[in-house]
Amino acid sequence: MRLLALGSTLTILLVSSAFAQIGNPAGADPGTRQAAPGVPAPHQTNTQDQLFAQQVGSGGMAEVVLGRLADRKAQNRAVKEFGQLMVQDHGKANDKLAALAKSADIPLPNEPDPEHKAVQARLEGLNGAAFDVAYLAAQVQDHQKTAQLLQWEINSGQDAQLQRFASETLPIVLKHLRMAQDLAAQTAGQTPREFAPATTGMDHGDGSRRVRQ
Amino acid sequence: MSKPLKRNVLFAAAFLIPATLFTLIAASDPLPPDATYRPLPTRPFSAVKADDEAQKPRVMLRQADLLNRRYDMSDRPIAGVMMSAARKAVQGGVRVKLPAGVTWESLAEMSPDEIRQRGLMPEGFLPLPHVKQATGGQVIPDRHIDEIRRQEARDLRRFDVNFDLPDHLTPEFPPPVFLTTQPHLGDVSRGQLLTIKNFYEFMNGIITPVQMEGLRLLLTPFPQEEFNQTEDRKVAEQSTGISCLDCHANFHTNAAFHLTPDVRPQAARFRLDTTSLRGVFNQQVHGSKRSLRSVEDFTEFEQRTAYFNGDHVSATRKGVHLPDRTNQVAMMAQMQNIIDFPPAPKLDPFGRLDRTKATEQELAGEQVFFGKARCAECHVSQTSFMDNSMHDLKLERFYQIGNTSNDFVILPDGPIKTFTLRGIKDSPPYLHDGRLMTLADTVEFFNLVLGLKLTQQEKEALVAYMLTL
Repeated sequence: MRLLALGSTLTILLVSSAFAQIGNPAGADPGTRQAAPGVPAPHQTNTQDQLFAQQVGSGGMAEVVLGRLADRKAQNRAVKEFGQLMVQDHGKANDKLAALAKSADIPLPNEPDPEHKAVQARLEGLNGAAFDVAYLAAQVQDHQKTAQLLQWEINSGQDAQLQRFASETLPIVLKHLRMAQDLAAQTAGQTPREFAPATTGMDHGDGSRRVRQ
Repeated sequence: MSKPLKRNVLFAAAFLIPATLFTLIAASDPLPPDATYRPLPTRPFSAVKADDEAQKPRVMLRQADLLNRRYDMSDRPIAGVMMSAARKAVQGGVRVKLPAGVTWESLAEMSPDEIRQRGLMPEGFLPLPHVKQATGGQVIPDRHIDEIRRQEARDLRRFDVNFDLPDHLTPEFPPPVFLTTQPHLGDVSRGQLLTIKNFYEFMNGIITPVQMEGLRLLLTPFPQEEFNQTEDRKVAEQSTGISCLDCHANFHTNAAFHLTPDVRPQAARFRLDTTSLRGVFNQQVHGSKRSLRSVEDFTEFEQRTAYFNGDHVSATRKGVHLPDRTNQVAMMAQMQNIIDFPPAPKLDPFGRLDRTKATEQELAGEQVFFGKARCAECHVSQTSFMDNSMHDLKLERFYQIGNTSNDFVILPDGPIKTFTLRGIKDSPPYLHDGRLMTLADTVEFFNLVLGLKLTQQEKEALVAYMLTL
């Protein structure tokens, strides 16, 4: 009970402090400088942080490239709008990540990885409804993988700022995933299978953006 | 086939096969190597321990803060209502805190969409994080740790975390033990915690040799993820391990918790509150996501799951125990299968209230349970108040998924098995992760989730009824 009472008095301290994430120190990098015992100093990364930044960086870059492609080539207006949203949201996230990576001295890739380049090449060769279907299928897969990567960083990383970036980005990526799933279902003439359709609660802050068929 | 044609086909095939392989390889770049598999520690034990110990006060404060934000954790027992061995009072009242500006009634009038969009889901209804999600693992309450140290000189205290709930919100300790083979004896625990030291003396003459051997195995410590001899342990001294009954204390539960072994990545693994083994003889579905169909299967495989998080690779490194199906598993299962529910003197053989013994309020509660509240659609009285099925409440209708709470990513729970309600007053906290502290909380939870629109009177009657089970 003493602990519980203490807990409430320290609420403000904890909420505002950099202690939001507390990892398993067994996974810390041996060369980590500490701000206090058990607390990595800012921008002190482990292998996972570095791999995370590179993989998410390259994926995010591909999202923007593919989003522009969808904006140009998609047949369905909703798919076009989804592509625009990807350019906008992932563009913002990429900028944030680039700044964090720079502070932590992590080199980011300059171009999408071979997997995404292959997807891009395939999509370049498709047109009309076939493009929409293939783009959405690739988007579902990409957002599934990105969601996994972000969750992985939240527990495995040690750079508090990168982990916070992962926590903040994850709900948006899950929204994108749901939107891509719903659009793919609509394109195939199915009704969304979930209770809560993506078109409700899809507010990105401005309240104006909705996916329409 | 003519020779030149055959040669051409072979040539074409030789050309096509590598092209196909290349495509397959390029299209399957995987996530990081430790996304599924547990990474090896990067530093020596002493350095990890020092950091874990330094982090511990912050870890505990952060969890206490979360619990206080979610719940009223005070000691407010229901007058005159004790658990089955009369060692601990049953706590009352709704403990989940409401967001500002709403009441339980106004919340129940809103649609799931509205609650989700306005962020009004009470935090205490959301999945409950482990005290240290990134590490996870079994966390045993202090009273059990102290008793095992006293009896066996075995240390179950972790240096990185402590148990996070106050004692009054957990089951009575030690819990009583009722045997289906000896109903006339009542509690056979002698008020003690069953351990490897005392079990033979206590059970000699009332269980069979086969059951006795099963019990011995259930009380024998085996290496576990956090309790072992490697540098990857979370206990100060090299440990001989954990026994089944270190969580399922006296075949019931001491509210020890863990993370589900059945989900990855780590951040998404939800907390598991230890399930009581009472009445397991009537239970057909075992495991949080595995839906194993017999207690034998569950017992045999638990070395890979509760002990090693569904990671047979880690188990192999830390000391694997593979119980023999015929000579060990069957005996452990047969011991578990004679553990009875506590007596419920107001219930008839069909699990319905005896009208001559029940109060008006309890009878009213039974009516609500079988009617308006729809509890009995899953908690079927004839089958020990469960239905041997897994159901998805789709709670994510009420909240935005993907938010992080104490390093735990809150996602949809998916299907979870129906738990028995027999002896339910003995088993706080409630739901598979222990996110609800009292039975009154469970009533408010299901009132909202199932859209029941119960009156205050009906809610109180339901709680009174569940106390008779």
